[in-house]
Amino acid sequence: MLKKVFEMKGGYAGRVLSFDLSSNKPRVENLDEKEAFLLLGGKGLGALHLYRSLRGKEDPFSPENPIIVSTGPLTGTIAPTGTKFSVVTKSPQTGVFLDSNCGGMFGVQLKRAGYDMLIVKGAAEEPSMLIVDENGAELRPCKQWGRTTFETIRELKKEFPDYSFLIVGPAGERLAPIAGLLTDDARSAGRGGSGAVMGSKRLKAIVAGGGRPIEVYDVEGMKRAAWVVRRMLRLHEVTARSLPRHGTVNIIEAVNEMGALPTRNFQKGRFEDASELSGEKWRSSLWKTDKGCYGCTIRCGKIAVLNDTWVDGPDYETIWAFGPNCGVKDARAIAMANYFCDAYGLDTISTGVTISFLMELYEKGFIQDLDGLKPTWGDDEVFLRLVEKACKGEGCGRMIEQGVARVSRKFPGSESFAMHVKGLEMPAYEPRAAKGMGLGYATSDRGACHLRGYTAGQELLGYGGGVDPYTVEGKAKLVMDRQDEKAVIDSSGLCFFAFYAITLKELHRMVVACTGQPYKDWYEFMRIGERIYNLTRLFNVREGLTRKDDTLPGRFLNEPMAEGPAKGQVVELEQMLSEYYRLRGWNENGEPMKETIERLELSELL
Amino acid sequence: MRTGKKLRLKRIFGGDGRAVVVAADHGLMLGPIRGVVNLRETLTRVIQGGPDAILLTPGQASSLIDLFYGRDAPALLVRADWTNAFRDKTYTLPARVVRDVNTVRVEDASALGASGIVVYLFMGLGDEDEEARNIETVSRFSRECEKQGMPLIVEPLPMGERVTKANYVDLVALSVRIAAELGADALKVPYTGDPYTFEKIVKATDGIPVLALGGYSGVTVRDSLEVVEEVMQAGGSGIVYGRNIVQAQDPGEMVRLVKAVVHEGRSVLEVVGASKKGRISLTVDPAACVGCNLCAAVCSLYHDGKINIGRARLRIIQEWPSGAKPVICVQCGKCISVCPAGALKWGLKGNVELVDGLCTSCMACVETCPQKVIRFDEERSVPLVCDLCGGVPQCSEWCGTAAIRVVEKGV
Repeated sequence: MLKKVFEMKGGYAGRVLSFDLSSNKPRVENLDEKEAFLLLGGKGLGALHLYRSLRGKEDPFSPENPIIVSTGPLTGTIAPTGTKFSVVTKSPQTGVFLDSNCGGMFGVQLKRAGYDMLIVKGAAEEPSMLIVDENGAELRPCKQWGRTTFETIRELKKEFPDYSFLIVGPAGERLAPIAGLLTDDARSAGRGGSGAVMGSKRLKAIVAGGGRPIEVYDVEGMKRAAWVVRRMLRLHEVTARSLPRHGTVNIIEAVNEMGALPTRNFQKGRFEDASELSGEKWRSSLWKTDKGCYGCTIRCGKIAVLNDTWVDGPDYETIWAFGPNCGVKDARAIAMANYFCDAYGLDTISTGVTISFLMELYEKGFIQDLDGLKPTWGDDEVFLRLVEKACKGEGCGRMIEQGVARVSRKFPGSESFAMHVKGLEMPAYEPRAAKGMGLGYATSDRGACHLRGYTAGQELLGYGGGVDPYTVEGKAKLVMDRQDEKAVIDSSGLCFFAFYAITLKELHRMVVACTGQPYKDWYEFMRIGERIYNLTRLFNVREGLTRKDDTLPGRFLNEPMAEGPAKGQVVELEQMLSEYYRLRGWNENGEPMKETIERLELSELL
Repeated sequence: MRTGKKLRLKRIFGGDGRAVVVAADHGLMLGPIRGVVNLRETLTRVIQGGPDAILLTPGQASSLIDLFYGRDAPALLVRADWTNAFRDKTYTLPARVVRDVNTVRVEDASALGASGIVVYLFMGLGDEDEEARNIETVSRFSRECEKQGMPLIVEPLPMGERVTKANYVDLVALSVRIAAELGADALKVPYTGDPYTFEKIVKATDGIPVLALGGYSGVTVRDSLEVVEEVMQAGGSGIVYGRNIVQAQDPGEMVRLVKAVVHEGRSVLEVVGASKKGRISLTVDPAACVGCNLCAAVCSLYHDGKINIGRARLRIIQEWPSGAKPVICVQCGKCISVCPAGALKWGLKGNVELVDGLCTSCMACVETCPQKVIRFDEERSVPLVCDLCGGVPQCSEWCGTAAIRVVEKGV
């Protein structure tokens, strides 16, 4: 039934699988070489297919909204950290573009099944799972509907020992907008509600595996380029020591020192007990072992043991969302909350920020109690009860699972401290203490996200020379460059963490050796990043997004920081935003101008 | 060039024009970090390895001068300036503005018995006045050194807010050229991360010896040595290692290994003994394995020219969440003894070899293998046996956590 097509010289599998759940029909197409050249893969190609699949303003839960799983040319190769894939869809939280980058074996297995990209449309009639392998795709009823992710993984592993899964938890099944996806090795594509989109299709799991080889264009060149990267990862302080030993949370004390660790729903920038949550503390108490994704020598993943249960993580963002952000300092409570969220398939950042918002509502007298619970800062027990309710969707949990933006609509006057951009909750860097992050949150294509324009490295941690965190000068350019760079990294299949040690130059060398595509130099990759960023912008503009959506919560714009090194700072957003639009070649309303679209050769793609 | 300068340079660069220098001046810039505390003891061990020169601050030079007595003693290099540039945000007192001042004059260094002085040259500072002052300092040193016959080693470093990942290599190239033009006798240059770009840097100096500096120290001895090997391949004249040596388990041995690569031109594989001479075998440390499958990917690429972890000559058993376990061929030879066609035989390295054309696809080896590590190749109808990659097993080479290791096999 499926043709074997191999026009690509290497890296890519060369085929795209579309599956319509409504009609139960698979369709296989060749990967377009020109498109792959211009957008690389992963996020970029996913964004293009999403753009083409929709016409604008559709309900994210409608059957026509596709959920796209897209790998990059280096996914599954010997490129160190070549593990990543992107989940691309229209987000039920923001109503605009969503891509969620995720590690683990799933992307590799999808490629081994013979596909670069899987596009799932329609909706199944009954709870189902989609099995993708070398023989094609098959929809089967899924008995595990309603079960937690970990139970589902255990049962599916018995049936498919050599396959990997991408699954939704009970939260996604009941369309909780902050529900994410989990892989069989507990990596998550958490943010933006991709789990709810999959739930709306009554798809419990995508199961992928196979034994197709990945061709390499220049074997010797690839080995040499990958070897250099492997060595660079092992020589850099961050990738060789900090991340392997202390996970992503290694930065928590440094960020706290800079007054950039948002505390109690962003009321302050320093958490008094941050040292209790340091990497050293986690390592000596709960963490038992490390875990690496496919091909990764960094192994930032940690596994904790809690009440005889093996628990994944938690990572920096999760520790922050449940810890300082809610005033909680008990590591066990944080690890427990993380376990609940993974088991039920909720995004940890969104869950934590929504709970901290409720705590502030309670503090300010907007609410008297939640199902009889008094949500005060730092009350571990109440906090855990709230997480549990959110996971199980009981009582006030039905409210929490809606996310901050929807909750704050019920409480007029709470908008200024409802911590979200475009509907997606804020992550763990205080923008008043790192202005570039502020602009990054405001202009990110999927709402508030630290990983779309990660300037915190330079602004707070002194990487790459370091820049003044409080100035707005030059930040528009910095944010733009970081966004473009990140877009290309997310499209390549490599992990962002590798780029502490390596640069686009090493990426360029590996991509050329692996695929044989004639990229002249690494700065062509910056242009690919820019192209992708304009593509997602065009998608968002079509959804009705304007300049007024590129904003931050009132707290950052009007409330000067109360204390710490960033005392007195607010984010001067409008100034940075105008410069950012100008540099991007967008008009004052944030729409890409015709010349920009022409210059980036986007017009021929759309 | 004055004879004093020539003589002193020869003390550093010896007969072959190459040098292994140990830097131990970190205390002045970074405070009491590991390795520089109790410096006398550390350096005593370092000197047992026989480095060509040791870089010290003026204060340490005068108190440790007895270490430099004698004919075979290393040459003394003196750090002639101080900077706050390295005190980043992780330090108690982070630098707000980068400053660099000189601490000793050339005649002071001369009186200390120095065979050369080392000064910084920063490129990329936000404040261009500071950059200009920096150039002025270096050129003053250059004139003085010329007069007094003292070799001047300049350390050009991209530093400051105008440095990005994108312009880093270009800034190194620019600053080494400026240093060369200002009259430096040798350069201490940050390694740009790969031999491709470093070759450009070496060429940019037009023949002035380039010593690469290490920066962060590697996780393993081998990582550190690979940098040395690449520097030499790119045309460098040697290495200045600080933390890689003073923080090493055995600083003296580390110096000897680095010297073997720099002066004897030996390969890293040879030096660390990865390419063992006799029969070898693989061993695993399941506790170290993180289950990343890189070994399997490399194995398939090495043998088939394509990546397919399902065709690797080893397997990773994923036991999420408790960990992963590599399963490898242990060269037990059971497959050889059961093969009815004689298609499997012992290789020179103690590995199993498949003889072309004899296999009858009977599957006896696949069924017998106690490790269940032999897979069957459906396409060619032969078993996939581990051949130890001709003596340098790639799985062990690429493993990021040393979970797969090569051991010599007793006869």
